[in-house]
Amino acid sequence: MEFLKVNHLKVYYPIRSGFFRRVVGHVKAVDDISFQLNRGETYGLVGESGCGKTTTGRTLIGLIKATAGEILLEGKDLAKLNRRERSYHRKDIQMIFQDPYSSLNPKKRVLDIIAEPIRNFEKLSPQEEKRKVQYLIERVGLHPDSIYKYPHEFSGGQRQRIGIARALTLHPKLIIADEPVSALDVSVQAQVLNFMKDIQTEFQLTYLFISHDLGIIRHMCDRIGIMYRGQFVEEGASQEIFNNPQHIYTKRLISAIPNVDPRKKQEQIKLRQHVEKEYKLSWQRYFNAEGKAYPLKRISDTHSVAIL
Amino acid sequence: MRANLNDSQQIAKDVSQSPSSLFILWREMIKDKLALISLVVLSCILLIVYGSALFLDQDKIVKVDLLSIYAPPSAEHWLGTDYGGRDILGQLIIGARNSFTIGLLITLLTGFIGLAIGLIAGYYGGIIDNVIMRIIDFILVLPFLMLVIVFVAIVPKYNVFTFILIMSAFLWTGKARLIRAKTLAERELDYVSASKTLGTPDWKIMIREILPNLSSIIIVNLTLNLAGNIGIESGLSYLGFGLPESTPSLGTLVSYATNPDVLQNKWWVWLPASLLILVIMLCINFIGQALKRAADARQRLG
Amino acid sequence: MLKFILRRIMMMIPQLLILSILVFALAKAMPGDALTGQLAQSPKMDANTLMEMREKLGLNDPVHIQYVRWVKNLLHGDLGLSYIHQQPVTDLLSGRLANTLLLSACVLLLTYLIAIPLGLVSGRWQDSWADKLIVGYSYVSFATPLFIFALVMLFVFGFKLGWFPTGGSVDIQVEKGTLDYYINKFYHLLLPALSGALIGTVGIIQYLRSEIIDTKVKDFVKTARAKGIPESKIYSHHILRNSFLPIAAFLGYEITGLIGGSIFLESIYSYPGLGQLFLQSIMQRDYSVVTALVMISGLATLIGTLLSDIILSAVDPRIRIE
Repeated sequence: MEFLKVNHLKVYYPIRSGFFRRVVGHVKAVDDISFQLNRGETYGLVGESGCGKTTTGRTLIGLIKATAGEILLEGKDLAKLNRRERSYHRKDIQMIFQDPYSSLNPKKRVLDIIAEPIRNFEKLSPQEEKRKVQYLIERVGLHPDSIYKYPHEFSGGQRQRIGIARALTLHPKLIIADEPVSALDVSVQAQVLNFMKDIQTEFQLTYLFISHDLGIIRHMCDRIGIMYRGQFVEEGASQEIFNNPQHIYTKRLISAIPNVDPRKKQEQIKLRQHVEKEYKLSWQRYFNAEGKAYPLKRISDTHSVAIL
Repeated sequence: MRANLNDSQQIAKDVSQSPSSLFILWREMIKDKLALISLVVLSCILLIVYGSALFLDQDKIVKVDLLSIYAPPSAEHWLGTDYGGRDILGQLIIGARNSFTIGLLITLLTGFIGLAIGLIAGYYGGIIDNVIMRIIDFILVLPFLMLVIVFVAIVPKYNVFTFILIMSAFLWTGKARLIRAKTLAERELDYVSASKTLGTPDWKIMIREILPNLSSIIIVNLTLNLAGNIGIESGLSYLGFGLPESTPSLGTLVSYATNPDVLQNKWWVWLPASLLILVIMLCINFIGQALKRAADARQRLG
Repeated sequence: MLKFILRRIMMMIPQLLILSILVFALAKAMPGDALTGQLAQSPKMDANTLMEMREKLGLNDPVHIQYVRWVKNLLHGDLGLSYIHQQPVTDLLSGRLANTLLLSACVLLLTYLIAIPLGLVSGRWQDSWADKLIVGYSYVSFATPLFIFALVMLFVFGFKLGWFPTGGSVDIQVEKGTLDYYINKFYHLLLPALSGALIGTVGIIQYLRSEIIDTKVKDFVKTARAKGIPESKIYSHHILRNSFLPIAAFLGYEITGLIGGSIFLESIYSYPGLGQLFLQSIMQRDYSVVTALVMISGLATLIGTLLSDIILSAVDPRIRIE
């Protein structure tokens, strides 16, 4: 059985207009996507801003209500659970947020921030609770004494570590990381990413890694899905997609990855021009009249593309 | 046990270094000289009023003494007497105590209602918010003063308690609106989403997560409202539709001035009460304005 | 724009409905009805005639039918009969309405006349001693209750200094219609209106001040300055133009305050207007007058906010998008 399976997930927002505010259409933030995560892997969701990747992540964890579709975690459909059951299963999915500043309540001490889930699900004595929080905070590389400090006393990278410690508290099986490093300095990004890889083995985590940065995705993910306007345009093993992109949108994304090697500059420019030309010529092959992608088609066991 | 003690001391020490918003607000406010003076003056007034009200014999003050009607200030009656020969100073103290206490009670009650409704409307949004906002919009366009007077006039068994309820029924709306707007902004922040994913129930998120982040706004608003409520109460008492006669207010003393003779020739009856209302309201307002500036400055600094 | 206005008017319909129900319910909750007054004047009326008259006036009908009749009468301008004065409420109101409107208009006019120059000075010469003085004044005026300020004004300028009349709307001996009459009327108005205006300025002063302070560092103003446009012209053409319409829109929101204010001002200056009538009626338990006054005030505030909302939405398109 798959660890997490998402079937035909849709998230629509009504557009109201006119005198009586009738629904005249929908913004299709997530428009019929299906994918699955295997236990212990890192799955990347990539796309430009506004493509629906964050909405997908927030729907999986229950912050946004799905319009239609199934979210099966170890066979149980999360979309159909009521609030009570859901809060029990919530323990299994946790989230790391993009903005380490707004995701920590400025009025709470680190101790209270990290202990929040413990207080919701476990009855621990203050001593046990403190010990557990100190263990976690040490594990993410901060000094155990810092549990009495407030978030504003930490740097962005440290704050993100606090966020990670909080997500780990309930021993989740799946962690949704929504652009976890894009708000951090480049120098700190690698640190946090490597640290995330370390704890993945230690805590046996599965990651859903959401990012617009293909470099990071390539570094982190085993398999990826490329999203465009609420739909998948290409999905499969990371290596395969990076080495052999099939969809023109993927090609454009990959050709846009900056290359620091000056000797390859000419090559890069040529590649970009080539892709651009192909994009203009063969647009219809990849998108229908509305500018939407076609349904995914399998081209190998580990690679699907949205072409006719 | 000893370790425990050390721990709690450690916590206490760290807490004192922490940026409790109220503490910072306080520190910023007392830098403002005018606010500091206001605070000292207000504290003195309250100390004297509540302190001496304990020792005053209310029955003696309200006892009619026909031999000393409208006596001007003298050694026996420092502020003279009224039409019934009753001591003005004593009435002033009791009136100030009643006005302040009732102003405070109305502020706290409306604060509680406004907070609860504002948090719920802002946090849940959608239809709940829409309905609540429509109700608030409606109450805000009602002729508040007239309706309060009508209610006061027609309510059977009218007493202090009903007066507080009538006032509060109208005065919670502004606060609810403010809290709702701030909650609406706050709930978009990720720490609220984080709490949701951590399984924290909604009521806990509202009270433990969002509320502390609104504390400085609430303090400022409550302070300014306290002044306003004392003003409205004494104004209504002046018109004769405020506190019932058994509970004299500062406004009751001022209302003796509706008699032109008193207004013109017997200043000691109404002027002290008027000035006291003015001083109390000015002090509270200056403190409130300073708190507001402190809160704004803190917001700018992040 | 038209859509916004239409929707805004639609929003007012339920408000009107609830207001009328509220006022009607209040009227029903008040002790006594249209016959109580007549009864007091002819105490010999026996129980049977009383019953008949009640029936005739429809006072025994179900509540909703009475309500519908009441609204119908209201729409026809019939506000019922005053129990005390035994004359139609509309007659009772007409003369006083003019007085109150005059007083309110004067208060508003003076408020704007005082507040706008002060706001301008305070914003343009920010942090000067004049600005500090004006800000100080606005704080003090914000904190001062109207009834105390009006009383002190009356005490000082009316009684002690004797500069102004201390009550009424016009002297009796002055002949109606002459120039003297109008001057005399204005003379009576001045002190109450000034008392109301001097404390009501704080909103406008603070709005203008912060608008000017915000706008004068904006890029389009800097550009104008760089082009060599004289400072006074920058203020009149670039900065103030945007601020005046919102200030005008405050008018509508002021109505609640004006109604409350007129109750205090008219009672303190014994000025024969609606506020004074309201207090008298409620003390004499003349409830049909009270009901009519509450309804009229409610209508006035509803229409005032409606107009203000429309003006503001014309200035700021963001308000239209909900």
